[in-house]
Amino acid sequence: MSGVTLEKIVKRYGTATVVHGIDLQVQPKEFVVLVGPSGCGKSTTLRMIAGLEEISDGELRIGDRVMNRVAPKDRDVAMVFQNYALYPHLDVAENIAFGLRIRRVKKDEIARSVTDVAKILGLTDYLQRKPADLSGGQRQRVAMGRAIVRHPAVFLFDEPLSNLDAKLRTQMRAEIKRLHKRLGVTSVYVTHDQVEAMTLADRIVVMRDGRIEQIGAPMELFNHPANTFVAGFIGSPPMNQFEAAVEMEDAGPVAVAHGARIALPALDALKGAQGRKVIVGIRPEHASIEPVGKGSTVSVELDLVETLGSEALLHTSIGDTPFVIKAETGGDTDHLSSVNAFHVPVERIKVFDHETGRVLGSSQMGAAA
Amino acid sequence: MTNMNLYSRGDRLFVIVNMMLIGIFAISTLYPFIYIASLSMSTGFEARAGRVILTPVGFTLEAYIRVLSEPLFWSSYKNTFIYTIGGTLMSLAFIIPGAYALSRPQLIGRRFWNLMVAFTMWFNAGLIPFFLNMRDLGLLDSYFGIIIGFAVNGFNIILLRNFFEGIPRSFEEAARMDGANEFQVLWKVYVPLSKPAIATVALFCIVSRWNGFFWAMVLLQDEEKIPLQVYLRHVIVELSDDEEFANTLLNATYSFETVSAAIIVCSIIPVLLIYPFIQKYFNKGILLGGVKE
Repeated sequence: MSGVTLEKIVKRYGTATVVHGIDLQVQPKEFVVLVGPSGCGKSTTLRMIAGLEEISDGELRIGDRVMNRVAPKDRDVAMVFQNYALYPHLDVAENIAFGLRIRRVKKDEIARSVTDVAKILGLTDYLQRKPADLSGGQRQRVAMGRAIVRHPAVFLFDEPLSNLDAKLRTQMRAEIKRLHKRLGVTSVYVTHDQVEAMTLADRIVVMRDGRIEQIGAPMELFNHPANTFVAGFIGSPPMNQFEAAVEMEDAGPVAVAHGARIALPALDALKGAQGRKVIVGIRPEHASIEPVGKGSTVSVELDLVETLGSEALLHTSIGDTPFVIKAETGGDTDHLSSVNAFHVPVERIKVFDHETGRVLGSSQMGAAA
Repeated sequence: MTNMNLYSRGDRLFVIVNMMLIGIFAISTLYPFIYIASLSMSTGFEARAGRVILTPVGFTLEAYIRVLSEPLFWSSYKNTFIYTIGGTLMSLAFIIPGAYALSRPQLIGRRFWNLMVAFTMWFNAGLIPFFLNMRDLGLLDSYFGIIIGFAVNGFNIILLRNFFEGIPRSFEEAARMDGANEFQVLWKVYVPLSKPAIATVALFCIVSRWNGFFWAMVLLQDEEKIPLQVYLRHVIVELSDDEEFANTLLNATYSFETVSAAIIVCSIIPVLLIYPFIQKYFNKGILLGGVKE
């Protein structure tokens, strides 16, 4: 198995730079997800790894080989495309076998490989069908079959699930995860869906405007976002963020916003920060409607209750700042309509610099990268 | 048939007028075929007298017997097949790779090459320079000259290029990831995906080759090499004041009109035979480039 190394990778189109010298090391057998809003350069980065886009600057290595000037077919990578790109004139077996035929693999060996792959992906009954006669999920599986039949060193996935409906997406997500566990092939996966990123990744790379904002394990990004962008991007619904001014009290720093006073963790960066403007971040699931131990209670005005089943989203506001609370329903939402305050433990609160958006550290809770 | 009850009065009138116009158009297109067929099966005397209008008058197949017994008819028929099959294959051999190259964004000077191809659709060198060119290349009076001289056609290249451009890039990228080189991408992916477009281009080539007349007349002197259309002209122009023909008027079983009509019918038959098989492509192909699928 090979790892993938990106060193100061740059992509320019004419005078516009879309990827600004990113560094990334994907370990052998690792599943790395590139995530970010559209236009953040994640697909371009993937396509540079695939060899479908030229690398303007920097160095790409797969294993120990520098790949900048190597043709896609010689990189030992396979890619699953967003629109599957199955050849419509070929049946499932021929689609899966295409790459092997091109490489002049012996016929009986091709037949054996196709049978094996079809078994793994549950496609055995569909081998003689054309792509047009398959459902979305089956097509997706064929696209994956075409990738795994070649036993490549690296799998590349370009938003492979975005054309599927929600239910199928969940199902295929689990299948991809299972497949990775079974085959253990180094994988780079691009998506704009943070749920996919959280569920699939060994490590997530959050990108924005052609730069990497943060790299880390899913829970690391969730618990310790490096900045307001990552905090807002990872987690669903996103972290509540609002401006506040710091006041120093005897018990420690306090954030004051719209008349509410919220106790902040005793961060080194907040020492002597009287009057400093900060951004306070509280995850919807960390705002509790039940009283908590050491923390603050903040009055809110309830606007709307969105019921999800076992959970509900309470859309509230502090002054004129919207604030979302995720609450357990316990099978009944009646009690939620009277909510007028939330409680938040002090250690759950994130504080970001008002100017740069970077998280302020470090407290005793440990800080982000 | 669409249910007329679903239409408003105005729409109904519109549909009726449309159908009448289409009917008139269809009849006016069909009539010459019927007329020629009837003429070829009428006696020369009636044909000369202008009495054939819709059906054969004084039914006889003498004109066909006369045509089919002519060795030059058979050799020109054979030549037309050679020009049509050879010319179409040669055209496709140039047009498919040419259109593919012009559709590639990575082609260096792509705009320039596209402009050069399109240029030939509006301007050409003209009759005399083209003739001199063919003469100096030693391509007069040769099968190869006719086949290669008209192999490439800007319109067909652009038609196919537009179709290629409409094929999602991810097919090409997937094939390249699978290890295909440029030729394999074209041959194993683009060509199979473009069957309707290629069939359309092939049909355009077949029809224009089959009906090719002018340049064959200009470039070919050798009677053994002329195609059917040029042979037809021989019959019409040269035999019309032929002594023997004048005499046949007396027995009146055939005239040069009925002989010409018989040749035309013979020349239409092969196209009529293949058309039903490629009609579906032809109908699709006319819309090519107009609609993004």
